[in-house]
Amino acid sequence: MKKTWTGVLLAAALAAAASGGVIKAEEETVFVYGTTGYSQEMGDAGLNPHENYSGWSAVRYGVGETLFRYSESMEMEPWLAKSYEFLDETTVEITLREGVTFSSGRAMDAQAVKECLEHLVQTHDRAPYDLMIDSIEAQGLTLTIHTQEPCPALIRYLGDPYGAIIDMEAGIQGEGGYANVAGTGPFVAESVTPTQIDLVKNENYWGGEVKTDRVTVKSFADGSALTAALQTGAIQGAYGVQYDNYALFEGNPDYAIQSCATSRCFFGQFNFDSPLMQDPNLRQAVEMGIDKEGFCAVILEGRGVPAAGAFPDSFSYGNQAVTAASYDPEGAKALLEESGWTDTDGDGYADQDGEPLTIRWLTYPTRLEQPKLAEYAQSTLKDIGIKVEVNNTSDHMTYAQQGDFDVYVSSLTTAPTGDPEYFFTSTVTGPKNYGHHQNEEVTALTETLHQTFDDGKREALAVELQQKLLDDHAYFFISHLNMGIVTKANVTGIRAYPCDYYEITADLAVE
Amino acid sequence: MRQNRRKKKLIFFSVLAGLLLATALFAGYLCPYDPYAQDLSLAQQPPGPEHLLGTDRYGRDLLSRVLAGSTVSIYASLGLVAAVTAAGTAAGMACGWRGGWLDAVVMRAADLFLAFPSLVFALAVAGVLGGGLPNAVLALGAVGWPKFARLARGLTLAQKNSAYVMASRMSGSGGWKILIRHVLPNIAGPILVTSVLEIGTMMMELAGLSFLGLGVKPPAAEWGSMISDGRSLLQISPWMSLAPGAAIFLTVMIFNLLGDTLRDYLDPKERERNRQKKEETKR
Amino acid sequence: MANYILKRLLQLIPLLAGITFLSFALMRLAGGDAVTYLYENAGAAVPEEVIAAARAEYGLDRPFLVQYLSWLSGMVTGDMGVSYVSGQDVFDTMVSKLPATLLLTASSLMTTLLLALPLGILAAVRRGSWADRLIRFFGFAGNAMPNFFAALVLMYFFSIRLGWLPVITSENLAASLVLPTLTLALSMASKYTRQIRATVLEELNQDYVTGARARGVRESVIIRKSVLKASMLSILPLLALSVGSLLGGTAIVETIFMWDGVGKMAVDAITMRDYPLIQAYVAWMAVIYVGVNLLADLACRFLDPRIRAGGEEG
Repeated sequence: MKKTWTGVLLAAALAAAASGGVIKAEEETVFVYGTTGYSQEMGDAGLNPHENYSGWSAVRYGVGETLFRYSESMEMEPWLAKSYEFLDETTVEITLREGVTFSSGRAMDAQAVKECLEHLVQTHDRAPYDLMIDSIEAQGLTLTIHTQEPCPALIRYLGDPYGAIIDMEAGIQGEGGYANVAGTGPFVAESVTPTQIDLVKNENYWGGEVKTDRVTVKSFADGSALTAALQTGAIQGAYGVQYDNYALFEGNPDYAIQSCATSRCFFGQFNFDSPLMQDPNLRQAVEMGIDKEGFCAVILEGRGVPAAGAFPDSFSYGNQAVTAASYDPEGAKALLEESGWTDTDGDGYADQDGEPLTIRWLTYPTRLEQPKLAEYAQSTLKDIGIKVEVNNTSDHMTYAQQGDFDVYVSSLTTAPTGDPEYFFTSTVTGPKNYGHHQNEEVTALTETLHQTFDDGKREALAVELQQKLLDDHAYFFISHLNMGIVTKANVTGIRAYPCDYYEITADLAVE
Repeated sequence: MRQNRRKKKLIFFSVLAGLLLATALFAGYLCPYDPYAQDLSLAQQPPGPEHLLGTDRYGRDLLSRVLAGSTVSIYASLGLVAAVTAAGTAAGMACGWRGGWLDAVVMRAADLFLAFPSLVFALAVAGVLGGGLPNAVLALGAVGWPKFARLARGLTLAQKNSAYVMASRMSGSGGWKILIRHVLPNIAGPILVTSVLEIGTMMMELAGLSFLGLGVKPPAAEWGSMISDGRSLLQISPWMSLAPGAAIFLTVMIFNLLGDTLRDYLDPKERERNRQKKEETKR
Repeated sequence: MANYILKRLLQLIPLLAGITFLSFALMRLAGGDAVTYLYENAGAAVPEEVIAAARAEYGLDRPFLVQYLSWLSGMVTGDMGVSYVSGQDVFDTMVSKLPATLLLTASSLMTTLLLALPLGILAAVRRGSWADRLIRFFGFAGNAMPNFFAALVLMYFFSIRLGWLPVITSENLAASLVLPTLTLALSMASKYTRQIRATVLEELNQDYVTGARARGVRESVIIRKSVLKASMLSILPLLALSVGSLLGGTAIVETIFMWDGVGKMAVDAITMRDYPLIQAYVAWMAVIYVGVNLLADLACRFLDPRIRAGGEEG
């Protein structure tokens, strides 16, 4: 019997050795990238730019490229396009780059771009409203876009990842989180699943030699696993390392941290359909009961900046341009009292008719700091007498759409195109206004913003709009986040961009 | 002699278990700090004289939270085990005594619930009814009772034909009276042992569900969710997971040892066997 | 034997019907069905006729029992609907993830045996020695360690501190398997070490052992020839029962180690309220569990002459 066991052990050891020692083709460079930013819950699984947020994945992981891209200062730079010119308010002429081919082998010309954009506005939910495309003409490398009405932000919107140009003749292979496309980027996806993307170098990349042969993008639902995977070398780069884990990599010569301020913002919206939340005093009290400074300094470990408005300080229409309620527990209590909420039964919570003041706080766990914010706010709001019931669920969209919340805290890149309009059209007057806040002035101003060309006027409008939202106590902004990529020290060519779109590029190299 | 030592051991573990129960009962008075009071200026303090087990990311005192957590963990498990023991035993005794269609129906139902691995079933219930402690307890209870029903049924069947039960039947005592007066005391031992040994298992499964975010929800102090919360800081502030982890470990160990000692103490067959063995080694 | 197998299989039918029915009914408790879910995300209000038409298309307007039967036949033929979240075929998803979970379960069982058998026998043979004490102590300790906590501790030491093993599933399957397997095997091995120790002690007191000893058969031979088999037989059914807690445990362990099996799938599905997947998971896990127990029962019967001679009583 003893011999048999020894045999079994030996066989197991051999099997381990054999599978461990699989010899990779020589000199092939491989980069394994872990991210908490790719998942079905995030709405960006799969690579089909014409669906939900999957375009982000197409662009982030080097499969798709857009006509224009954002620089580090959020200025527009040509990418697949060489230049553009507004012929009149509703017509723009774009000249495309020569010598670009899709991974399907087809050459990228105006006709291909036309097919792609037409499919985009037919199928995508946000793009048609952003782009306002009426018709497109294609001739050689010249693309002419006619818009239904003046669309000043068109060029900026074309840089949104949904504008990644793909070959519609090759089509979209697979559905949802499995969708693969033929783009023009430095990498071609071999396989796509909702949890992993295997990329190989695009041998014919127009932008020159691609420095890494293979890239694997792995989705991590869990920040601890991501950190540990980076430490053990299972991955060589990580996006979305929890802020409380940066201490492990900072000052460690084996790792490099790329970090930059973004317009990603944690913010809350009140539900105006909830009877409780119709009281402006109550809404303001909630705002005043949240300690943004403490949250940023301790829970975010200094990697977030307290927010007043929707946009970070780096924008002229950012935090400093607006005034918001600040942390003031006593003031909040006074407001509650004014509305008849006092603690009569001594349980620490304000009450009316024997019912404690209870609000439902909806949030979701993929942005790992959101549940922590909820737990922290639960404590500071308790101090002013508000009981907070946290509903932290991946299924937050369902609850949000059903209006099953009082406060919905989510995060959003408020200026993904370096322009303020997106936040207002998507979240204030658009489909993400789950709280159904309505203010005719706000709607009218947003419409004006949508049609204004002059940058100075747009900025002024953005400030006015934010201030109206704050004065209505409809939204509150908690913090803007730094975005960081942590890599092993021998990884180069990966950078953090304020727009959060570009991660894997041709420059990526493992030395 | 040996039995004497067993008795001492039994008393020892009973006292330990009693201490745990008392801790859980009086947790509110024992906590040095408010387990829910956050103070960010004290976040992530290592264990020290001020905070014996350190503090968590919100500056809450971990010792207080571990103590407060014992109430949820221990009483939820105890309540759950008591409920499945009572329900299972009642069902099993009724089946064993009555037999017939009742036996057939209830035992088939027991088989059915036994066919579901308990955590799998709990996951399904959490999926349907949502997470939360009540649902977790409900799910574990639904798959927990058949074990006791089977045990009680077997034991009752054995008692049913024993001389003294026959005798009381002859003397005209009613069925229920016999069951409660004569059968129950005779089968209580093995059931009690199984029941005590089940406490640890249930506690770990409840904590496991909380760890997955399907049991007790934050900010409630509960050991499983505390471990889950401290998980991302395992390398930086390990005490955040270690403190509740050690608490579960010790509690489960004490209940398991109690159950084991109780079995040794109550099971005469085992006792007999051990005596034989002892004589043998003497020889 | 063949008769017996047939009989057991026949007995299984009502049980399987019960399992599948319960799994099906449970998900109906949730309220919504595929159509509600489909239009929940539509944004605008959907006319009643459209919903009714969709219901009819999915067969949701038929009586409950009919729906159950069609779902059941789907379970056998591999058509269990599509996931609400990913839109993928549920059966295909299950089939693609099941091998990973079964591999983990099997390797955990193997490891449990490899640890528990030698340790249990050693403890029994050297009863009262320091080895016995040590083994018993670790037995109690391992049994009181929740698997999720054990996983974190193992991960911390073996992956992060020592860097020996990957912390999540990687290309190197064998190395990735070690920690999840150990996590699951640890508490089971603790339990079985004690079980085996007790069984071996009992066997050593049997007449045949005394007889063999009297005949001058060496102790090691007695252990190998007789005691080992007897103890294996005694723990085989228990081991099969443990497959249940293993299958449940994989849900936690797979989530921690990012092992791409059905357990992790189920946990993800629960957070997304993806009912068809949860339904399939529960039903399949129960069926596998029942199947394993049947096999263990048959194996015992086949291997143990005493039970075989004992007649056909189930």
